[in-house]
Amino acid sequence: MKKITVSGLKYRYPLTEELALKGLSFEIEKGEFIGIIGQNLSGKSTLCQALMGLVPHFYKGGYGGSVWVDGLEVGKAEIHEIAQKVGLVFQNPFTQVSGSKMTVFEELAFGLENLGVAREDMAPRIEHAMELLGIGRFRDRNPFDLSGGQMQRMAIASVIAMEPEIIVLDEPTSQLDPQGAEDVFQAIEALSRRGMTVIMAEHKIEKIARYSDRVLLLHQGEMVAFDTPQQVFSRDDLERYGVVPPVFAQVCKGMGIRNPATGLYPMTLDEACDQVVNWHE
Amino acid sequence: MKNSMWNLKLSTSALVLIPAAVGINYIGKLFAGLLKLPLWLDSIGTVLSAMLAGPVVGAICGAINNIIYGLTMDPISFIYALTSIGIGLAVGVLAQKGRVNSIGGAVVVGLVAAVVSTLISTPINIGFWGGQTGNVWGDLVYAGMVAHHFPVWIASLTDEFIVDVPDKIATVIVAYGIYKGLPQKLTILFRHDSVTEQL
Amino acid sequence: MKALSLYQDRGTVVHRVDSRSKLLYILSAILIPAVLPGFMPGLAMLALSILILATGKVFGKVLPLVGFSLLILASIVLIQGLFYSGNKQLLFSLWRFGFYREGLLFSGGICLRVMNILCAVSILVLTTRPSDLIESLVRLGLSPHLGYVLSSVLQIIPQMTATMETITDAQRSRGMETEGTLLVRMKAFLPLIGPVVMNSLVSTRERSLALEVRAFSARSKKTFLNPPQGGTANTVIPLVLLLAMAAAIVWRVMQ
Repeated sequence: MKKITVSGLKYRYPLTEELALKGLSFEIEKGEFIGIIGQNLSGKSTLCQALMGLVPHFYKGGYGGSVWVDGLEVGKAEIHEIAQKVGLVFQNPFTQVSGSKMTVFEELAFGLENLGVAREDMAPRIEHAMELLGIGRFRDRNPFDLSGGQMQRMAIASVIAMEPEIIVLDEPTSQLDPQGAEDVFQAIEALSRRGMTVIMAEHKIEKIARYSDRVLLLHQGEMVAFDTPQQVFSRDDLERYGVVPPVFAQVCKGMGIRNPATGLYPMTLDEACDQVVNWHE
Repeated sequence: MKNSMWNLKLSTSALVLIPAAVGINYIGKLFAGLLKLPLWLDSIGTVLSAMLAGPVVGAICGAINNIIYGLTMDPISFIYALTSIGIGLAVGVLAQKGRVNSIGGAVVVGLVAAVVSTLISTPINIGFWGGQTGNVWGDLVYAGMVAHHFPVWIASLTDEFIVDVPDKIATVIVAYGIYKGLPQKLTILFRHDSVTEQL
Repeated sequence: MKALSLYQDRGTVVHRVDSRSKLLYILSAILIPAVLPGFMPGLAMLALSILILATGKVFGKVLPLVGFSLLILASIVLIQGLFYSGNKQLLFSLWRFGFYREGLLFSGGICLRVMNILCAVSILVLTTRPSDLIESLVRLGLSPHLGYVLSSVLQIIPQMTATMETITDAQRSRGMETEGTLLVRMKAFLPLIGPVVMNSLVSTRERSLALEVRAFSARSKKTFLNPPQGGTANTVIPLVLLLAMAAAIVWRVMQ
């Protein structure tokens, strides 16, 4: 089942001449984990925000083509309607806190109150989201007293409590310390395992290689590739797009270790191990 | 009317600007006190928000500023919300008409803000405090004038005005300096006339 | 991180009364003495407010609040006692300054009125959690967006103050002068506040985006996580206050 259909998506920010997205077309299936990679300013954030409708509704500017999410046309719907289908998490955990609630529990209720969810339905949804993200023990803390990683997991939980079917994450760990980042990745992986459609823009290529079903490579607002991590990271022209392949792919490439079945380089430690063992036999 | 500066339906950006602006008012006041400046400088945020997002946001920012002060520091501030609203409206209208485009323009707008502030504050000062402002220099002038049998309202008007003029001019100049330093891609978010263009 | 608030968590009866009743009480404390003649109604109202503050165990916290206004009240007594335009009857003299009965009575009236309002407002701000106050205002019909703005201010100010402290220390250690002549101090103002001001304005963009994602602009009727405050007291108190105000106005009209 197609969850997201993007066709001919073009976008230009106000006050700028050049298009930030130059006619993207692709489809995403229900339950897929999609990694978006590319240099800074390649259009990753813009694409993430276009799936949520912040592009064009929040910024205005110039918009063309269409984005359909779960039967809703993003360009014609309003952001709060789309928010019930798509959740978006940003880089900076600090600015995602609503800034009006005194406890983590109340913070998670913010979106539900806005949507007009009945009071008796709120607590179970919030409990569930807190449990998924492992932040239940912070329920009575002030949101601003959490560490970066905890705050980011709260941001994800706040979105999850709104029960979207798709979650989009725009470099969710780029401002976190290694431990905080690891906790966030594990939480995202858990969401994916539960069947949620996950779309994540990320610089940490190892993580993309490990979790993604497919990888979308962007360069200067254009889609260069949209394929399995093995296919994308086995390309010879990655350097031109400012992408460094995962370390195992580099090592295997240097040693000429390919998966004999596909002719592609292994992407993760496990995969590389298998191939090395096979290679020696 | 949808794109006019008097549109009452505020965008999310405009609403988020208000707490930031009230915070700026607060630190302006805090640092004016810390540096022992003879000015209040407690409306920089209100003026900035009015410049960025127009008279309605400026007025709301002024009102909320005084409500918060009233709730958290000095309950008397509630009544002076009217003055802050006036300053926000005046600066907002002038800014939207393009009058705050240079230091000279900022001085003129500061002067207008001082006049508006004086006209609104003076009746409150008279009704509430018998005409004084609580500022030492202003009140000395007031005492002198009352002792020489000037009518209370003239003494009170003078008291407020001589305090307001330098304060509001300095406030608008500081706000203008900050406004000039903001990136355009930010300031455009607060404008009322943006529409999505079809490509 | 503490939100900006004067709230004192003492868990008394006064704390359990809802914000609507306390708001109505402020209105009564201003209206009733204004409608009725003489000092007595004002004094009675003040005594009642002090009694309520004492019951709420927050009377000690009123003094710093009143302190703000005390200096200006003292100067009013001084200036009006000496120079009030209706001054006729000399009461006493200090050195070569004469204090007059009319001026002192006039300034006494101002002091009583200010103290009355201060104490009535203090009951609200000292015994009500700000978030509860804002929530009840929204229930009474305040736009939820403005409710958000109010709560957000209470959190943003302590954050900005904390950032300011860091910056001040940094600027001082870099040798910026914050003392000296007026000109030196004026020059220090913009570099001190500039970075925090810029940063707070720039982050409005990201925060707006984050709010949009949380359906902030939804037009459906908002719901509340917390149940509304109820109880007989919260029905009886507003009723009594409304009746008292009505009675004062009726009495005045009949006179």
